[in-house]
Amino acid sequence: MNSINVAVIVKLEPDFSEGNVSYNPDGTLNRAETKNILGPHSEIAVNAAFYAKVKYGANISIGTMGPPTAESMLQHAQLISDADDLYLYSDRIFAGADTLATAEVLKSGVLKMQGKMDIVFSGHRASDGETGQTGPQTAWKLGMTFLGNAIDYEINMETRTVRAKRLVRLQGIYDVVEEIEAPLPVFIAIDPSYVPKFNTVSQRLAYEKYQREATQRAQNFKQYLKTFNAAQIEADPKLIGISGSPTIVYKVERIPKGKATRQAEIIDGTDQEQIRKVVAKMRQSLSTMVIK
Amino acid sequence: MEKYDVAIIGGGSAGLAALKQLSNLGKQAILFEAGSKVGSKNISGGILYSKKPKKGKTYNVEDIYENFLTDAPFERKITKYILHATSKDKVFSIDLTEAHNYEANFGCSVLMNKLNQWFLQQVTETAQKHGGGIVPGVHVRDIRWEGERTIVQTDELEEVEVKAIIAADGVNSEVAYMTGARQKFSPSQLYQGVKVVIKLPEEIMNERFSIGQDDGAAHLFAGDVTLNHIGGGFLYTNRDTLSVGAVYHLDSLLDAPVEPYDLVNTLLKNPMISEFIKDEVPVRGEIDKNMAKEEQMRIRFAVTKMIKTWTELRDAYYSKSQKERLVKEGKYGSEDEIGSQLSSIREQMSSKYGIKFETDYVEAEYSAKLVPDGKRCRMEKPYFKNILFVGDAAGRGVFVGPRIEGLNVGIDDAARAANAVARSLDKNNFSDDYLGQYYSQSVEESPYTHDLKSIDKDYLKIFLDAAKDVPKDIISAKYGMVVKMMSSKTLRNFAVGVANILGYEKLLPVIETTETYVKVPTEIAERLGKSIQSSYTPSIPPIAQRVAKLKYNDDNISHIKVLKPTSEFMKKMITLCPTGCYFMEKDGVMIQHEGCVECGTCSEETDWKHPRGEKGINYQYG
Repeated sequence: MNSINVAVIVKLEPDFSEGNVSYNPDGTLNRAETKNILGPHSEIAVNAAFYAKVKYGANISIGTMGPPTAESMLQHAQLISDADDLYLYSDRIFAGADTLATAEVLKSGVLKMQGKMDIVFSGHRASDGETGQTGPQTAWKLGMTFLGNAIDYEINMETRTVRAKRLVRLQGIYDVVEEIEAPLPVFIAIDPSYVPKFNTVSQRLAYEKYQREATQRAQNFKQYLKTFNAAQIEADPKLIGISGSPTIVYKVERIPKGKATRQAEIIDGTDQEQIRKVVAKMRQSLSTMVIK
Repeated sequence: MEKYDVAIIGGGSAGLAALKQLSNLGKQAILFEAGSKVGSKNISGGILYSKKPKKGKTYNVEDIYENFLTDAPFERKITKYILHATSKDKVFSIDLTEAHNYEANFGCSVLMNKLNQWFLQQVTETAQKHGGGIVPGVHVRDIRWEGERTIVQTDELEEVEVKAIIAADGVNSEVAYMTGARQKFSPSQLYQGVKVVIKLPEEIMNERFSIGQDDGAAHLFAGDVTLNHIGGGFLYTNRDTLSVGAVYHLDSLLDAPVEPYDLVNTLLKNPMISEFIKDEVPVRGEIDKNMAKEEQMRIRFAVTKMIKTWTELRDAYYSKSQKERLVKEGKYGSEDEIGSQLSSIREQMSSKYGIKFETDYVEAEYSAKLVPDGKRCRMEKPYFKNILFVGDAAGRGVFVGPRIEGLNVGIDDAARAANAVARSLDKNNFSDDYLGQYYSQSVEESPYTHDLKSIDKDYLKIFLDAAKDVPKDIISAKYGMVVKMMSSKTLRNFAVGVANILGYEKLLPVIETTETYVKVPTEIAERLGKSIQSSYTPSIPPIAQRVAKLKYNDDNISHIKVLKPTSEFMKKMITLCPTGCYFMEKDGVMIQHEGCVECGTCSEETDWKHPRGEKGINYQYG
């Protein structure tokens, strides 16, 4: 039977939810007090990989660059996706990496994974960096076709091609769906709006079965985990960590608060009165607009 | 089209028991659950009984799940069962523990979300082994027959073909309506139940209710707390929460509508219950509005985090098992160390952030459910073609005075339905007489059905003995003849005999009156009750706040359609909807479905369906 290998690259990010996050008096994030978790966009990417497992029986590998504490995040990712292999690329040399140096580590890491990857998934961006660069750069370094903003994908196991839908902006119009077919291997950066769809009872049963297996695997996740340092993934020392990072952050400025030019008006009264007043205001504003 | 042997519709305790029983018998079955996960839409009062009737046999929860008593996360085994008659601050208590223990192996308090999750774990592996399993997040829309084929259509998945169906989709069974197997239950056949789950640390509870580590107490309430309605209130101890609820006849509520949450609030405000639920609650200090926005936000986040840490550690500190675990895991050197850490956090909370501590109570979840009064609405023939109805879907619940049983009846039905279906699979015969009638016969033989049809004089005696301290003159005004007849064994047997010949239907309007549930208890409390004072007034959240706390997966289209916007019934829904989804507009009554908890109170005059798969209410306790 045709098999397929899928990798996901994920990132350890601060948990920004209320009750978990802490800030310093100067408004910066208090990293010591804030727990780190699997980033929300990474989680979507992991879900996308799980879709391939349920539907095509894919073999899933998950890799991350991070400190040893990132282990528990990989455990969480395994719980979601029933991953077969977990990879942690951890080395002091990696510290201070920008997106390009990170992409170098991830590329080297993906190449060290068990089997040749047919699809590599990444999230759309990270919730702490927000650059959205690491995925595309890793794809470029791996020499894979890059499909960004993917909201859906199907694999043809016979022809070894993937058909994906991308949410793009076309001539100024947002949310245009573009359908693309590409031969494997591909690199897919998954769109934040991605939701996996399973349409038959047998797929749903497979979903439940793998989830159950995932729970068992995640309990002994260390059994599936391999940790590699810089030498073990054979990354070029010149291209990783601070020395491999062309980006220099020389200053961080607080964004000054814009001066409000609009006027706020507080509307009071009962719920119904308030709504009536708001509707009246909207009517008034609309009546002055000219529709071309 | 994919084919499976059996489809079970609804993943509550009955549906899961059916799946377990079928899997135990080596049969292939799939279970559709509309909620995003099993248990997310289930609500129970809740006590789950295991029975040992003198005549006949019931399939008990531990017959279906052999490891139930050792492994299941039920809350506490109820060892005290007390009925309280209330009038203002006065309470007179009658110990009904004997009645609770009558023909029972045990009765334990339960929270359905957690328990159904456990049932799910027990059943998944065996179900998968036989090619079946559980399919959550799928709402069955229609069932149709094409010749010999039975086809199940859902909102989410491609159609599937099955040989038989077990309908365990609850009191608002859509399977029943869509096939025409039965009419919707009418308000006179239903109770409306509204419940709040309240947090209370484990060891504080043990002390307050004078119960052991694993023991539990059940308290029932009648009298003025009913606000003149037929029904009553309850308070059950769970592991580290309390379930407090009000259950009333829907037709009684329709006669004189009162907001369902007011009925619960009245219970909470009763001094006895106020004292039962009280706890120490942190109250946030005001944040100085003159500070920079970022600083205000930082403080708000820091306070949230601190309260969370304190609450979690306090819950652990008052739980023997959690305390031991924390020490064993090496997080703390000793149990005393947890205690001193707790007071140090508490000290910081008040000194650093001005958090105060007040006596109040902590509500975790508000919920509502309709309960079928089995005496009045059980399906005489609980099947339609090759569909078998079980539990609430078949209108089966035993509610006789203080006897309140629903979960165990559903499990008993489910086992019988599974056995009947397995027998049909073996012979590949799904005809009315081989499947439906066989099941119907089996249900008819169930001791529960017997209890739904006639009065058990031994149970009645225990009940009357418990109430022997009540002066006869209070009850004799209304029940003089009854009391006299019940006082001697011969007369009692005769009276019960006559009553059973008359049948429940004729008898119920005489027994289930405001006289029984309100007036007599109120008078008893006034004359005999002890006065109880509460040291504080619980700050009860308004309904909007309760609804805001619930978790929903909003659907943009409404699952309920108002058919008669100007009818009297619909106007009453403005008051009777437990989450206040109805309001009056110019053209009549409108619905805002987003806050709906899918109880079905408005079902009578609406086009009522459950929301699509994964949508709607998502209970955390149940």
